[in-house]
Amino acid sequence: MPLSDYLIDQEPWYRSIGDEVALFEAAYADRMPMMLKGPTGCGKTRFVEHMAWRLGKPLVTVACHEDMTASDLVGRFLLDADGTVWHDGPLTLAVRHGAICYLDEIVEARQDTTVVIHPLTDERRTLPLEKRNELVRAHPDFQLVISYNPGYQSVLKDLKESTKQRFGAIDFGYPDAAVEAEIVAHEAGVSREVAATLVRIAERSRNLKGHGLDEGASTRMLVYAARLVRRGVALEAACQVALVLPITDDPDIRDALGAAITACAA
Amino acid sequence: MDGPAQSTGASGEDRALAASLDAVKRAAGAQAAHALAQAAPKAARRLGTAEAFAAWLGVVERLAAQAPESVDALLGRIEGVLVDLDVPRFEAWALAGLRLAGGDAARRRAYFALEDPEALRWLERAAADLGFSTVERRIKAYLTALWGLHPPVRAVTATGSGGPPRRTSFAGGVIRVPESFRGVGEAAAVALFRASLAHVAAHFRFTPRRFPVGSLKPLQVALVSLIEDARVEQLAIAEFPGLRRLWLPFHVAEPGGPPAAPALMARLSRALLDPDYRDDDAWVRKGRRLFLEARADWGDPAVSRRIGGLIGNDLGQMRVQFNARTYVVEPAYRDDNMGLWEFADRSPPPGGGETVVESVRVDRIDDAPSPDRERPDGEPPEEDGAPHRAAEDDDGADGVPVARYPEWDHLIGRAREDWTTVVEYPAEAGDPHRIDRMLEERPDLARRVTALVRAAKVGRPTRLRRQSEGDRLDLNACVAAAVSRRLGERPDPRVYERSVRRERDLSVLVLLDVSESTNDKVLGGITSVLGLERDATALLARGMAELGDPFAIHAFCSNGRDDVHYLRVKDFGRPYDAAARGRLARLRGGLSTRIGAALRHAGAELARQLTHRRLLLIVTDGEPSDVDVYDRRYLVEDGRHAVMELAQRGIDAFCVGLDPAGDAYLTRMFGRRNVLQIDRLERLPDRLPTLYVRLTA
Repeated sequence: MPLSDYLIDQEPWYRSIGDEVALFEAAYADRMPMMLKGPTGCGKTRFVEHMAWRLGKPLVTVACHEDMTASDLVGRFLLDADGTVWHDGPLTLAVRHGAICYLDEIVEARQDTTVVIHPLTDERRTLPLEKRNELVRAHPDFQLVISYNPGYQSVLKDLKESTKQRFGAIDFGYPDAAVEAEIVAHEAGVSREVAATLVRIAERSRNLKGHGLDEGASTRMLVYAARLVRRGVALEAACQVALVLPITDDPDIRDALGAAITACAA
Repeated sequence: MDGPAQSTGASGEDRALAASLDAVKRAAGAQAAHALAQAAPKAARRLGTAEAFAAWLGVVERLAAQAPESVDALLGRIEGVLVDLDVPRFEAWALAGLRLAGGDAARRRAYFALEDPEALRWLERAAADLGFSTVERRIKAYLTALWGLHPPVRAVTATGSGGPPRRTSFAGGVIRVPESFRGVGEAAAVALFRASLAHVAAHFRFTPRRFPVGSLKPLQVALVSLIEDARVEQLAIAEFPGLRRLWLPFHVAEPGGPPAAPALMARLSRALLDPDYRDDDAWVRKGRRLFLEARADWGDPAVSRRIGGLIGNDLGQMRVQFNARTYVVEPAYRDDNMGLWEFADRSPPPGGGETVVESVRVDRIDDAPSPDRERPDGEPPEEDGAPHRAAEDDDGADGVPVARYPEWDHLIGRAREDWTTVVEYPAEAGDPHRIDRMLEERPDLARRVTALVRAAKVGRPTRLRRQSEGDRLDLNACVAAAVSRRLGERPDPRVYERSVRRERDLSVLVLLDVSESTNDKVLGGITSVLGLERDATALLARGMAELGDPFAIHAFCSNGRDDVHYLRVKDFGRPYDAAARGRLARLRGGLSTRIGAALRHAGAELARQLTHRRLLLIVTDGEPSDVDVYDRRYLVEDGRHAVMELAQRGIDAFCVGLDPAGDAYLTRMFGRRNVLQIDRLERLPDRLPTLYVRLTA
């Protein structure tokens, strides 16, 4: 099977925070295109990996960026010694062979690029390859999943209405404190106390969202901070490295966050 | 060993004083010298060290030279002035006075006699170690981070009774913070502001409603407040353990000492917060025991009322001194407790330090119109040919003050807010033929300059695909070409891509210095500096107008900080027509060069332009100077600051210098690469490329 490299053998650890696993399974049973919404670093990608493992399907992930063209998704002709050879793009690969195709941060891609997914996300389930004059019919296992961060929505970067309405959506947020501490403790291998302190610090920085910060510290950042702590870095230093310096260059906000970390540390 | 050392120090001071007395007598007369002799011992006592005293004498001598009439008035009040100031701050305050008065002796005397309200304001400012405004944003962010609170915070410089506030206060959800805490160093002040606001936030969080005063006595009110303070702090610490480290350093009360109520209360405050604190006083121990025993009930504010009432009775029976009028809550970070109490009949509160909650906020007096111009786009008088008013009429009755700007004082390392006022005057109409004739006489020069302006590629880089040559392969074009070749077609040879700056996207504001010195002849030449400025500007303007670049021509001179003249010869978005050329031709030199204010005003104008690059081209002949400035470095340093501010806003400031001797201060202001010197018009085309190379690099 050409997609065997994309199969996930080890179970990716995922702590369910609601009924999202059941919802996704139901959606997959019907091959409904899904949209995962939520702030960065809250576990969307991990969730998709976990679901692909659970369903036993290969997972093709594409990180979208603004220079991405439709050919980057669909495929292109390349040159070789004898002439041109068609090379399937990641989306075509998933469509042909039956994988879950995960387009991460879809809003980053230009709108003219995202329209190529339209025929795949309605009853047709087909992908026309104009350059090859071929119509690829989707494998029965194929499902399209996109992720979408409403946090940096702007007039320039938003999905077209016609794209949005082709998807079901699951909303992700940061889990509540106890669950988030459990996640941090598990992922980084630190004690519950350290994890709980870090979560309390993260809440401080999430309070500043819209008041100096565009986005508060994510669960992923907490895991990084916790890993530094496990390596013997002092808690406050680890927080500076993993939670403060990456997200802001504003000296006042850095100062406020630093002081808030001191207040949270025992 | 101490004795001899001290006596030599004293005789050193005496010698220094004798020399100063001489100097002051010579500069300001016998009366001033007499005042100095009287004031010297007091100052020496205040200042403490011989070095500080000697430095202070130096300042007094300089003051005697620059403000002879004011020395005795100042020295008569020297003790009060030095209460809050060390020598550098005293000097900064004195300099502010000299600048403020700007050569007006009566005003100077009023300032130094502390009769001018400005003198007190500057005294306040100079004394402030660290103003709340400088840390306001970070501390508000801190409150937001900890508790998600966004309370309005007001910095207060005076209470209703006139004195400076000594403690934070809150009422009705508004926090009032002293603008500065007297005598607190910079690092400590940040911690103090932070601790204060964290404490008030703890009240916001854990004191759900005010206590009714009822029949409580002032002492009981103070004690219930004290317990309440400790209670909310303990609850906050349970949530954020690090807060204990924030608050504890301010608790410095020690066991022992006379059994006066304020001291005992400070000790109790510490005992309630600091688990390691030991105090043998029975009352302190009882208060601590009651408080800790009630740990389970800390969630309920009634516990403060109960314990406060109990220990209040005890303290009352001990017959210790308590004066509600002079009592100030300790430690300094705690609020004045006014926000905790409900006074039934708006009668003056019985306890607490600040007796008036409603305090005055001294707001910046903002009587100047906003920087956005009030007049429609600097409408110049358009009656072509006819001069608007007599050339000699220079008192500018029709100037419109349009904006105030800060000015940087390098001596105190601070900007003075709203220090300069820019006043716009209409530029007079003149005869455009002078300009046209000059251009006609030098057709080569005009053409060369236009070509240079045209050659400058200032725009956003654009990627061009499918080019026949370029620095990268265009992959898509390559593939298409190979496909065509396989298909037997003739491949398209344009398989490269490159980036170019394609659009001209530059706006230029030419700012002309038209101070008095521009009437001088150019060194070794026959034209005046202003003539050279005008001709060079005309050459450039012609080039820019032909190419359609947005540009403006403005001019400035100054007459003291309150009257920085600003003239609009040509504005952005208006044609460079005969009227504009006429106004350019009509420019006359006069007054002085306050360059910083003009740079800021021009920068504000240029910042509104939406082009990729914005260039402020300032043409000046001489050192910045003004009638009310005696320090040669002052305006240069201010100009340097203004240029840095422009750079932060993405505006390139570039100076064309017409004073061959001015290299030192021009490079100090603009940076070495941003100054070019020309002494003859013919040099302009030679030097202009430097400017554009710098812009496009």
